[in-house]
Amino acid sequence: MTFPTPDGPLEAVRGVDLDVPSGTVVGVVGESGSGKSVTMLSMLGLIQGAQVSGQALFEGRDLLGMSASELRKVRGARIAMVFQDPLSSLHPHYRVGWQIAEMIRAHEPVSRAQARRRAVELLAMVGIPQPEQRVDDYPHQFSGGMRQRVMIAMALALHPRLLIADEPTTALDVTVQLQILDLLRRLQAELDTAVIIVTHDLGVIAEMAQEVLVMYAGQVVERASRRGIYRHPHHPYTRGLLGSLPARAELPGRPHAPLGAERGRRDRLTPIPGQPPSLLHVPSGCPFHPRCPFVMDVCRRKPPELRPLDADGSHRSACWLPVDLVGLGPEVDGRRQAAAEAGRARLGRSQEAG
Amino acid sequence: MRSSPPPAGDDQTLLRLEEVVKHFPIRRGVVLRREVGRVRAVDGVSLEVRRGETLGLVGETGCGKSTLARCMARLHELTSGRVVFDGRDISRLPQRQLRRLRTDLQMIFQDPYNSLNPRRRVGSIIGDPLAIHGLADGAERRRRVQELMAQVGLNPEHYNRFPAEFSGGQRQRIGIARALALRPRLVVCDEPVSALDVSIQAQILNLLADLQGQLGLTYVFIAHDLSVVRHVSTRIAVMYLGKIVEVAETEDLFTRPRHPYTCALLSAIPIPDPDLADRRARLLLTGDVPSPVNPPTGCRFHPRCPKARERCRREEPRLEPRAGDQEGHATACHYPVEPDEDLAQAARVREGTVGEVKDAGGTHGDR
Repeated sequence: MTFPTPDGPLEAVRGVDLDVPSGTVVGVVGESGSGKSVTMLSMLGLIQGAQVSGQALFEGRDLLGMSASELRKVRGARIAMVFQDPLSSLHPHYRVGWQIAEMIRAHEPVSRAQARRRAVELLAMVGIPQPEQRVDDYPHQFSGGMRQRVMIAMALALHPRLLIADEPTTALDVTVQLQILDLLRRLQAELDTAVIIVTHDLGVIAEMAQEVLVMYAGQVVERASRRGIYRHPHHPYTRGLLGSLPARAELPGRPHAPLGAERGRRDRLTPIPGQPPSLLHVPSGCPFHPRCPFVMDVCRRKPPELRPLDADGSHRSACWLPVDLVGLGPEVDGRRQAAAEAGRARLGRSQEAG
Repeated sequence: MRSSPPPAGDDQTLLRLEEVVKHFPIRRGVVLRREVGRVRAVDGVSLEVRRGETLGLVGETGCGKSTLARCMARLHELTSGRVVFDGRDISRLPQRQLRRLRTDLQMIFQDPYNSLNPRRRVGSIIGDPLAIHGLADGAERRRRVQELMAQVGLNPEHYNRFPAEFSGGQRQRIGIARALALRPRLVVCDEPVSALDVSIQAQILNLLADLQGQLGLTYVFIAHDLSVVRHVSTRIAVMYLGKIVEVAETEDLFTRPRHPYTCALLSAIPIPDPDLADRRARLLLTGDVPSPVNPPTGCRFHPRCPKARERCRREEPRLEPRAGDQEGHATACHYPVEPDEDLAQAARVREGTVGEVKDAGGTHGDR
């Protein structure tokens, strides 16, 4: 999908394939500007002025080809969304119960009283104490965590088949985050809804998702099961993300030396050098190549496709490195380095020959 | 004015807080501005920062950690209590002397977008402290600024650029360069990496570590991200509703937390590792943090605490060493958590959900 901007067309998302089997939780992870939210919004026709190509099939129908009124019937009822900031997603002038009831009445022919009763039930389901009273409160009377519960209640009001949660806990404190993730997980299992959870937080993904997509510069660079991503990453960007996490330093087998305890011998993080690219000037070839420690000549020329690493294709990576170079640690990195050097040398020789 | 001689053993302590209180009055009315209540942001905090260490300060939104940081740097006037920096009481220093204090004590702020003046060039932003303190002029100032820029990993040739031309991570580097311009001894970092993406966050954390080694800095490091705090800190203090509830050496706190709130906080950190995430028992707190305008009686954590008893409602626990703990470990709890205690179970009993399967982890299998 492309946005026209004064600086030329901005390709926010390129060639993203995403399939969510019903009843599963898929995590989409990436840093700011990687296109993860835009992908979700464009799928639902929630972005104006964007040129979108491709297909978004939901229960066999293409969302991108639907008319506005058809799409409106799907959104909210069959596909629901929970956003990062519940305060700006709720209308400040209306009571929360009214807002939930309104949503129900927009899709189903029920009376006001029935809709209100449903709203009370929903508030109770998401764990809001005294739902009969709270249903008549305004959004500002709720705390951040409670507001996010209201959003979840609203999203689940019509038993959607797919729930898209875009950074649902980013604005919340950790203890509240745990409450919300726990709630999402229980409701997901109970209602058997498929969930796409979009976040920058690799911790949240590890807690929630069965299947993980890693996005960089508008593309999916790696996709695998949760364990595949965290234990056997292939793409150097995924490896870099995991290496940047302080929490990984505390995993078993990696003794932790706090900073300053022993000068000169401190536990250092391995950040990814440089900055993510501007989407107006995405690098040629692989978009990650300017920051990649294992860059080869081919990476600068040809964009890698998302190709399967294993027989059943459950682990895919868009990287030119050999498919068996998965995992973390100095041993694999050494082999990555060797492969990268070979990749550089080969081209050097062929150029000399030519 | 000379302050009283420091007590023995104080030479290890760079900064000492004594019963620091900071209340913000809530006023009503136009003419009389009657005080109708107070936000008890910091309500009696005593704490030491030792030379060369990194003291982590953690807590959730509204617990008063940023206010406490500002009290340390005297950006807030204290309501009561004392702040002693290097043996000198700085809590009542007049403006002129306060300015001199700034050469020793600097702050780095969370938001690299709002803490830099967008209309001024980076060189002059970083050079400001040198100009204000009359330490360097003209070509000499420029040389010092460019040195600083190189030291924090910025291109010194970008001296004449505006903040808008830099990314978030680079702006945080500008903030760090500015804080270091005067060669301070203590740097109070208030959520310095919270606004940054993880890959950039790691760059800044490494930079802060390098600078500490090179310049012998002491840090007070505030963050809500516990894994970040664990990575950088030698000691950690946990705050809840304006009070320190527990303080200990980093590994001691993480392996043997005693306050139920600390336990809840630690168990809530999302672990970026599928196996650990599944295996872990979770302590799910109920309810929200109460308002600091009207904090609960007794122990402030009692309404959410799985172990709360009658005594906790009446009597405020003191922050003191508890039996069986390492030196330097203090906990403000009447009934500290024992190492093999199952708090999650206690929480379930309290919630009346015993027997019901309430699985907070491991409900999903891997493919």
